[in-house]
Amino acid sequence: MPSLNKGFAFTKTFIISGMLMLSACSGPIDRNKTKAFESTYSPNLDTTTLITNAKIIDGTGSNTFKGSICIHQGRIKVISVNQTVNTIKNTTNINCEYTNLIDAKNKYVTPGIIDVHSHLGNYPTPSVSAHNDGNEITSPITSEVYAEHGVWPQDPGFDEALKGGVTTLHILPGSANLFGGRGVTLRNYPSRTVQGMKFPKAPYTLKMACGENPKRVYGDKGGPGSRMGNFAGYRQNWIRAQEYRKNRNSDQRNTSRNLQLETLADVLDGEILVQMHCYRADEMVQILDLAKEFDYKVTAFHHAVEAYKIGDILKENDTCAAMWADWYGFKMESYDGILENIPFVHESGACAMIHSDSGSGIQRLNQEVAKTWAHGNRAGLNIKKEDAWKWLTSNPARALGILDQTGTLEKDKRADIIIWNEDPFSTYARPEKVFLDGQLLFDKQNNIAPKSDFRLGYGAQ
Amino acid sequence: MKNIFIYILLIFMFLFDINVFAKDLLITNAKLVIDSETFRENMQTNTKLPIDYEANIHENISIYRTTYGRKEPIIIFFKDLDIDEIKSELDGLDYKTYDAEGKWVTSGVFAPFSYLGMADIGGEDLTNDIRSPGSLTSVSENASDNFNPSSVFIANNRRHGITHAAISLAAAGNSIFAGTGSIVNLTGKYNSIVKETAFVLVQLGQQGTLNSGGSRAASLLQLRNGLEVANCNINSGRNCENSLIRAISNINNNSALSIYESDHLIPVIRGNIPLVISVERAVDIINVIELKNSFSKLDIILLGASEAWKVADTLAENNIKVMIDPHNNLPTSFETVDSSLKNIIILDEAEVDYAITNLSALGLQGVGTLTQHAGNAVGNGLDWNKSFAAITSTPARWFNIPLINNSLVIWDGDPLNITSTPVRMFINGEEQSLTSRQTLLRDRYNPNTNSDKLHKYR
Repeated sequence: MPSLNKGFAFTKTFIISGMLMLSACSGPIDRNKTKAFESTYSPNLDTTTLITNAKIIDGTGSNTFKGSICIHQGRIKVISVNQTVNTIKNTTNINCEYTNLIDAKNKYVTPGIIDVHSHLGNYPTPSVSAHNDGNEITSPITSEVYAEHGVWPQDPGFDEALKGGVTTLHILPGSANLFGGRGVTLRNYPSRTVQGMKFPKAPYTLKMACGENPKRVYGDKGGPGSRMGNFAGYRQNWIRAQEYRKNRNSDQRNTSRNLQLETLADVLDGEILVQMHCYRADEMVQILDLAKEFDYKVTAFHHAVEAYKIGDILKENDTCAAMWADWYGFKMESYDGILENIPFVHESGACAMIHSDSGSGIQRLNQEVAKTWAHGNRAGLNIKKEDAWKWLTSNPARALGILDQTGTLEKDKRADIIIWNEDPFSTYARPEKVFLDGQLLFDKQNNIAPKSDFRLGYGAQ
Repeated sequence: MKNIFIYILLIFMFLFDINVFAKDLLITNAKLVIDSETFRENMQTNTKLPIDYEANIHENISIYRTTYGRKEPIIIFFKDLDIDEIKSELDGLDYKTYDAEGKWVTSGVFAPFSYLGMADIGGEDLTNDIRSPGSLTSVSENASDNFNPSSVFIANNRRHGITHAAISLAAAGNSIFAGTGSIVNLTGKYNSIVKETAFVLVQLGQQGTLNSGGSRAASLLQLRNGLEVANCNINSGRNCENSLIRAISNINNNSALSIYESDHLIPVIRGNIPLVISVERAVDIINVIELKNSFSKLDIILLGASEAWKVADTLAENNIKVMIDPHNNLPTSFETVDSSLKNIIILDEAEVDYAITNLSALGLQGVGTLTQHAGNAVGNGLDWNKSFAAITSTPARWFNIPLINNSLVIWDGDPLNITSTPVRMFINGEEQSLTSRQTLLRDRYNPNTNSDKLHKYR
C-alpha cells in the first residue's frame, strides 16, 4: 500500500513542521513572511493603440470631450482633447507610434467599469450546491478565510461581465458572518488561476456584516441572536485584535501566528479596507461609532439601502456607500429602498457607488447608473452625467484603494477602457470593445470574447 | 319604491365600479404607440382617419376614451386634428382634456407574470403568501385570494407604468400545480381583480422535481395524470377515479390530484384558459409540446423557457406561446446551460408568439423593471414595436384583456429607455396617483429640501 504510506508520511511531516513553526516564533512576527498567494497577473503589453475621434467621459467629472487616447505598454500614454482629428496624419501630432488605430467616430469612450461588490467565482454558475464557496457558515467570526480561495476562475459570469464592460471586480465573502473574511480585487482577465487575476498590489479588504443575516443564521446556533449580539461580537473580537496586534509587534513575547486576528490587526494597521454589509441608516451610524471606539476606518457600506437618510454623516466620516439602483423590499431591513438613493448620497457630498451583487446585474451596471441618475434629477437634483459616471468607476476605485491605478482615463493610469456604440446612459448602448491594460479582450464586431471551459460542449454561443 | 331601486343601483355601481358618472377622457397631441391591429379596429369608428394608417408609432394623435352608452369602454383616435375640430366632433359629450404636449402615450404595461400584491416582506413567512407548502389543495388555490391591493408594492410599481399584471402563486400545496392565476389592475382599489380565473400554473423542470418526489418523470406523470382525470371528468360526468391515487398505496402528499382539484383543470383542457408551464430545458419543452397530442385544445404558455430558441420552429408549428426574460444568459443551472441573449431574437425569427417577463428580477417588487428588460431585447436586436407589444398588447391578447381601452400612460420619453418614466396614468378612465411610499420617503429625505423640521415632522 505505497500510496497510503506516502499519504501518512506527508501528514506526519506536515504536523511536525507545523509544530516547529510554532515553537520558532519568538519576537515580532516578520510581516514579509506572511505574504502569500501573490498576483501573477502579467498582461501582454505589446500593442500600442490609438483611439481617435471619441466622445470621452473620463471618469473625473470633467465634461464629455471629443478626443484621442494613446495606449502604450498597457498604460494611457496620452489623452488629449482634440476637436478635429479626422485623418491619420493629423493624429500623429500627439506622438503615438501606434500599431493599432481605432476611429471611434460617434462612439463613446469611458473607463472600464469596476464592480465593488460581486460574488462571481465564489457563487458561480451553474448554481449547484458544490459551488457555494462564498460563505463560511460555520462560525460568526471567520476573518481567517480569504474569498480568493473560493473563487473559480472558470465562472462563465466573468466572461459575460467583461462583455458588459467590467474590467475590475471586488469579490467578497458572503454576509452570514459578523467577520466574513478577506475580499479580493481582481482584474477581469481570462486566466487559469485566481492568482492570474489578482489586481497587483491592491489592498485586501475585510467583509463584515450588520443586521438580519448574522442573527438569522446563528440565532439558533449559539448566537448572535439579535442586533445586540452582533455588536457584542464585533467588540469582543476587536479587543482580541488589539491585543494580538500589540503582541505581534512585541520583542518581549512569543506570538503564534493567528490568521483570524491577523486580518483584524491588519485592519487596525490601516492595511486592510473594511467593507461593511449594512442596510439600515441607524445601524450604519452605530457601526461608525464602533469604528471610532477601536480606531479603524469603515471604507464603505455595502447594500446601504437607507444611505440616503444619512448622506451628511457618511460625508463627515469619509465613508463610501455601495448601492443598488432599485433593489429593495425583499427583507425588512431593505423595505425603505428608494430609486434616488445613489443621487441623494452623491448630492450630500458623500462618495456614492453602484454595485451589482449579481451575475446578471453586473452585465448592465451603466444602465443601473443611468436609471438612478434620471430619477435623482427628476427629484430636483441637477447631476451631470459625467459626475454620475463616478458611481461606476472612480468611486469604486477609491473604495478599493486602486484609484491611482484605474477608475479614470488619465495619463499613466492602466488602460482599462470601453468603447460604446452610443451614449452609455441609454438602454440600447452596448460595449463594442473592452480593453484591460490595453489588451483588447472583447471585440463585438470581430467576435473576440473569452469562453469559459464550462461552456464547451454546449450549444449556446 | 323607485328611490329604493336607485339606491340599490348606486350600491351596485359602487361595488362594481361602473363609472357612469366618470367623465370621458380626451388626451390631445400624443405620440401614440399602439399595435396596428388595435389601431385599425379603433380608427374604424372614426371616419377622420385614413384607412391605411399602419405604422406603430403615430405622431399628433388625440385619443378619446368613452363609456357613453356602452358596456365596454372604447377609444377613438383622431389624427392631425386641432383641438377645436375635435371639440366639434365631440359636441355634447362630457369629458376631461389632458394635453400630452407631444409626449409618448401608450397603453399601460401588462406584466405577464408576477407575484405582485401577495407578500409584504419576502423573507418574513407570515407576510408572504406566494407559496403554501403546507396546504392540502393546489390547482384550486386562486391567486386573487392572496392579492392585497393596498400593498405598498402596488403604488411603487404603478409609478413604473405597470397598469395590469398576471399574478400567481409560485407553488401551492407542495404540488407541481401552483394554483390558478388571476389578472389584476394596479388601481390599488378593492375591485382590482380584472379576471379571477385566468390561467393555471404548473412547475416542471428542477422546481417540478422538488415538488413531485425527485424526478422529471414523476412531475410529467403527475401533469399528465391531472389532465387525464380532468378530461375524464368532462366525459364521464365526474365519475372518474384518479388513476394515480389508485396506483399509489400510501398517499402522504398531494402529488395525485383529487377529483375536486382536477375539476379546476377543466377550463384548461377545454382551452378556455391557458396552461402556463414553467420549464427551461429544450427536451423538457419537447415533452410538454407532446401533451398536445392527447389534449389538443390546450393553450400552452411556457414560462422561463431559457432554451426555447433550440426548439423555436417546433414551438411555432404547435402554436406554443412563451414568456421569457431577455436578460437571461447565464447557465444558472444545468437546465439552463444554453441560456442565450439570442433566445428572443431566434423565437421572433421563427414567428413564435412571445411575451417578455423580468423573471430574473421579479422578487416581489421587481415588475417595475419590465420596460428595462424589454429595452434590452431591443438593444440586442429585437424590433422596438415587437418588444413593446411583448409587455403590452401581447399578454393582453393572451388573457383577453382590452388593455388600451382601459389604460393609458403618458411618458417623459421612450418608455423602453431606462431614463424614461410615466408622468400621468389613467386606468378605467380615471387618473391614477403616481405617489407611493417610495416617493414619500424620497420627498422626506431629499437633500435639496430646506427644512428645519425633524424628519419625522416633514
